[in-house]
Amino acid sequence: MTEWRRIETFGAPPGFNMGLDEALLLDEAAPPTLRLYSWEPDTLSLGYFQRFVDVPGTSQAGAVVRRLTGGGAIHHTDELTFSLTTNASDPVYRGPVADSYARVHAAIAQALLEFGATAELVGEVPLASDGEGTGMCFHKSTPLDLAWGGRKGVGSAQRRTRGRVLHHGSIKLGTSALEGAIATLGSSAGRPLDPAEVGDALVRALSEQFGLRFTPAAPTAAERRAAEALGPRYQDPAFLHRR
Amino acid sequence: MRPDDRKYLSSHEWIKIDGDIGTIGITDFAVQELCSGNESDLVYCDLPEAGRSVEAGETFGEIESVKAVADLNAPLGGEVIEVNAAIEDHLEILADDPWERGWLIKIKLSAKTSDALLDAAAYEEVVAQEA
Repeated sequence: MTEWRRIETFGAPPGFNMGLDEALLLDEAAPPTLRLYSWEPDTLSLGYFQRFVDVPGTSQAGAVVRRLTGGGAIHHTDELTFSLTTNASDPVYRGPVADSYARVHAAIAQALLEFGATAELVGEVPLASDGEGTGMCFHKSTPLDLAWGGRKGVGSAQRRTRGRVLHHGSIKLGTSALEGAIATLGSSAGRPLDPAEVGDALVRALSEQFGLRFTPAAPTAAERRAAEALGPRYQDPAFLHRR
Repeated sequence: MRPDDRKYLSSHEWIKIDGDIGTIGITDFAVQELCSGNESDLVYCDLPEAGRSVEAGETFGEIESVKAVADLNAPLGGEVIEVNAAIEDHLEILADDPWERGWLIKIKLSAKTSDALLDAAAYEEVVAQEA
């Protein structure tokens, strides 16, 4: 069994959330880490390369950040957000990016089954959740995305830096005004879901899929300091409007 | 075997040195890792402007595929003197010919060597471990 840390920071501020993920990405000595988190206030995150003006929803969220990872914008509300950070040589991420998505998404699909959602890779089929003009991740599907009921319900993106990998994931528990027509786990379960219980299911699935043992932990003092130092950039107007 | 007329970084960039000019690109392995043969999966490449100085090992740009953003690292330091303008609009060049037409930047070298540089044989070992 490979040891991973499990860090939960539910209801954390947006700059801290992004700063801690960057701190974990950059620290080559950091152990493999799964973060389970949510946002306070609700936050719209832009993909790293997105143009600010291409995402009209920025004016309707409680806060806006730009992620280190690519892809489309996500409105982080009523969802479980998670990140995986480890070395690129880790068996979970070794090899082509597409293969690592397939492996991780297989584990996520297993977790979703606990809540009545039978998710599959999209393939080349258009989805009912696809749409133009919003810039939102959940309105644009790729073959590697997870969907159920013909709609996208999980968003994910990776950053690869100096032999390290940061994998961002977003599992939708409910909809928001900015993300209509998507698949939500709460709808499949037929009840409101707490991010923590979905996080527990994700941990079980990742443990089984990859033979991992997760140890609950808090960010170290050094990681917290790094997160506080790195965090403000993500909401800095110059960074938000860099494109 | 990859070209032995240049040096490599373990992060999958190459540099070909001609006098005091270094031409930098990324390897076929890096491209394959990002797009798994689907060249249309490469969606964006951000390169520096001419005139910028880069240090050996410094990130000089970024490349995005449909599912990942990856850093581009400079094998050696120097001043950027030319950027391959064709790349940003034609990322498929990287998949078609990463060794010649797919070069990314040219720099005027401030130093011609670094301990981090690998020859082709050593780079093949890196690839064998990661594949």
